[in-house]
Amino acid sequence: MVSDRIFGLGIIFVALFYLWSAANIQIGFLSDPVGSRTFPYLIGGIALLCALVFVVRPDPDPVWPRLPTLVRIVAAIAVMYLFSQTLKPLGFIIPAAIASGVLSYLISPRLLASALTGIGLSIGLFIAFNSALGLSLSPFGRLITG
Amino acid sequence: MELFNNLAQGFAVALTLSNLFLAVGGCFLGTIIGSLPGLGPSNGVAILIPLAFTLGLDATEALVLMTSVYYGAMYGGRISSILLNIPGDEPALMTTLDGYPMAKKGRAGDALVLSGVASFVGALLATVGLMLLAPILARIAYLFGPSEYFALYLLAFCTLGGLASRNQAKAALAAMLGLGIAMIGLDNTTGLPRFTYGEMHLMDGVDFLVAIVGLFAVSEVFVFIESHGKNSAIGVTLDKITVPFRDIVRCFPAMLRATGIGFVAGILPGAGASLGSFLAYMAEKSVARDKDSFGTGNPRGVAAPESGNNAAAGGALVPMLTLGVPGSGTTAVLLALLLTLNITPGPLLFEERPEVVWGLIAALLIANFVLLIMNVPMVRLFVTILSVPPGVLLPGIMMVSFAGIYSLSGSAFDLVLMIIFGLLGYLCRKIDVPTVPIILGILLGNKMEDSLRRAMVISDGDWTYLFSSGISVGLWIAAIAGFVAPIFLRPLLKKPAQPGN
Amino acid sequence: MEIRVRKTVFAGALLGGIGIAGSAFAAECIAPANPGGGWDFTCRTIGKIMHDIGAVDKPIQVTNMAGGGGGLAFSHVVNERNDDGELIVAASSATATRLAQNAYGGLMADQVQFLGAIGADPGIIAVAKDSPYMSLTDLLDAVIADPTSVTFAGGSAAGGFDHLKVLMALGRAGFTDVTSVKYIGVDGGADAITQTIGGHTQAMTGDMSEVVGFLAADEIRVIAVFTDERVPGFEQIPTAKEQGIDIVSVNWRGLYVPLGIDEADYDRWSDALAQVAASQEWQDAMVANGLAPFTKVGRDFQDYVNGVIGEIETLSREIGVIQ
Repeated sequence: MVSDRIFGLGIIFVALFYLWSAANIQIGFLSDPVGSRTFPYLIGGIALLCALVFVVRPDPDPVWPRLPTLVRIVAAIAVMYLFSQTLKPLGFIIPAAIASGVLSYLISPRLLASALTGIGLSIGLFIAFNSALGLSLSPFGRLITG
Repeated sequence: MELFNNLAQGFAVALTLSNLFLAVGGCFLGTIIGSLPGLGPSNGVAILIPLAFTLGLDATEALVLMTSVYYGAMYGGRISSILLNIPGDEPALMTTLDGYPMAKKGRAGDALVLSGVASFVGALLATVGLMLLAPILARIAYLFGPSEYFALYLLAFCTLGGLASRNQAKAALAAMLGLGIAMIGLDNTTGLPRFTYGEMHLMDGVDFLVAIVGLFAVSEVFVFIESHGKNSAIGVTLDKITVPFRDIVRCFPAMLRATGIGFVAGILPGAGASLGSFLAYMAEKSVARDKDSFGTGNPRGVAAPESGNNAAAGGALVPMLTLGVPGSGTTAVLLALLLTLNITPGPLLFEERPEVVWGLIAALLIANFVLLIMNVPMVRLFVTILSVPPGVLLPGIMMVSFAGIYSLSGSAFDLVLMIIFGLLGYLCRKIDVPTVPIILGILLGNKMEDSLRRAMVISDGDWTYLFSSGISVGLWIAAIAGFVAPIFLRPLLKKPAQPGN
Repeated sequence: MEIRVRKTVFAGALLGGIGIAGSAFAAECIAPANPGGGWDFTCRTIGKIMHDIGAVDKPIQVTNMAGGGGGLAFSHVVNERNDDGELIVAASSATATRLAQNAYGGLMADQVQFLGAIGADPGIIAVAKDSPYMSLTDLLDAVIADPTSVTFAGGSAAGGFDHLKVLMALGRAGFTDVTSVKYIGVDGGADAITQTIGGHTQAMTGDMSEVVGFLAADEIRVIAVFTDERVPGFEQIPTAKEQGIDIVSVNWRGLYVPLGIDEADYDRWSDALAQVAASQEWQDAMVANGLAPFTKVGRDFQDYVNGVIGEIETLSREIGVIQ
């Protein structure tokens, strides 16, 4: 009950922000009969209605994860984010090894297995991507030069 | 028979030992690329074009390789849909709905074999259709103007209600989320940016691959961490893998219907494989008597979208070859390949370059048989994925997704966007908001808006133009029926089913 | 690939600032779009011919950097590769149009150097075969008499190059109420023709290469080509000039290089480009792709681009695409 209501309220805010952004869409002199704002208005409006339905008639609550699980999910997000930011400067191999190692540990907490998984995946996938598929990933980014 | 002469000529061009070797290689690579999340048929073909040049292939050889990769990727997309609930590419989206529940029940092998056969039926009949009727079918593309396309997209969104979980408002909201995201980027009609907030990366809009990988693959990691894998197909004990003849026979009519729908969707440059498989699935569900079993692992829900999207892939070659209009990202890349090979598709291609056209058709037929022969025994190999420990498998999928998206766009921005979509996907799953309509909204939102706005430019704002042709009126009727039917028919249909439960 | 070259730049700086990209690395051509489009063609074809005829020692790597209609690549070059002498970037009339319309987030045309163009796709106006409009003047007269009677379809968004061509032609004919002209931007030239043949729109504005197949199949009538002279191979198509509409508009295919590179590098690239223009390989590639000869290399080309940008800017301001 509460989940859907909170979600509904969240969507209402998003939809209002969306409608506000839509009202500020730049319009050139070359206007067409429908215009740039009609669709966004419709979308925001219908989303708003749907969200109101949630608030008024919520579904039963799902089971939300407990704190330790929540921490692990946040950790997973953090490690993915760090991976995305380090991929360019540090290249593929080291960030991938760390990220997949940590993810592996979060999924099944065994230290050695996770470390091996990280290293194995990183090197294996690097080879697979670069040679078999011909996608060019830089191995070490700016760490090792030349 | 001229047709058989032509076809014989085509096989004479295409059926050499080296080409057969290329076809097998291309099918294999294509299947792998198709099954990897974040890499679909269009970037699969794009990635491999340089390979064709490095190997110094001639025109026919390059075509054989690329069409094998194309069809291979279309077949391959289903694999991760069924096994992991992660569509390998956007046309395989609908296959998750019933394929994954089948896998969770231990029937992953059955689902893979069935979908392989369904893919074969769809692709084979589409190739035959291309062969017999392409120049005539091309005329259908002329009949579809902005108002007809608008009605077609409307049909897709109106039938979404039938897809919904229990709560129709949640399906509608999901569609609005997708449509809302689709509005981001340059407005096609005015050329001015919308919802970009000055961010250059958003100018071209949000790539649907980023959304799919985020909503399905990244969110899977969160769900898995939370549930300790209880609600996953990974590690499920598998039934013995046999060919499910009974299912294949029972699903055969569904495959034929889906092929018809998919093929027509493929011929229309504005529609494409995703719409083909979506409409095929919805149509199958709407004619089925056991509607409620769709979404819980109904074999017909696996067969229909796979026949549909593979038929659409074949159909999409019709406008590409006869008009030079690429209906999808993949055919756009194939078109580019043809142009680099000094072959200019257009209305005269069939007359001027019969060796190319019939060579291509022969190559498609070869690829299809190779894929069938390759895919059925390989099911045994595919399902072993599910016995890989999740601690290795999921990080592996993550890295493949990240690397796939990154190596194509080179932008860390897309990766962050992907993580955000992952979080959104996780939330949606928790509170039972379906994710398929989000993707559909992103895929079709701009097209739907553009077609309406174009129609209104043409008609000077006269709304009756939307109903000015027989085709559009027909599509409007179907759309209204599709929207209304679940609301009125469902209570009627459900009641007699209740005592059975 | 992008990363690889930047790594090289970094290496160069570390090793005592000797310079950039050593001879161990090939030069790079950025196609600011996904594979398959005109820019991709420019990079791949010109790059390949440069190597084949020996104008460069090593094969040129092609990097696709799609985003912002070329804006992402433009800002990448300006902000991160401004002194990279081993970099060329594909450009076309669309690049100039977007620069003129300030569509690259405030970046200006003078932040790079336009190297040259070595081929051009002539602009055309086409109608369906059964159309009542027999000439460009017929069509323009119809628009002037009743702007709602004709919808143009083109492959670029409203305010884009295909749209502007129509407005320029109408302007030459004395019609300046630009906002009343009906135009729909569809997904590429071939799509625009399909719509026109299907009777959904009355005329198509685009490039010669987009209509060659339909012309041969006798599905359409090209009523004007926007070149000085009739195009070789298409002598039956009258120019707009002959019909009293003084407009020349081609979609050139060319390259730009970063602003901060050495004079020697600039000369080396313009020399290599000139060699490509003169090669038989390029002549063949042009014929196969419906391009007309259009060679302007070096400072001449820079002046030409500046002129084009000026004209587009004025027109865009008139129609309100830019304020």
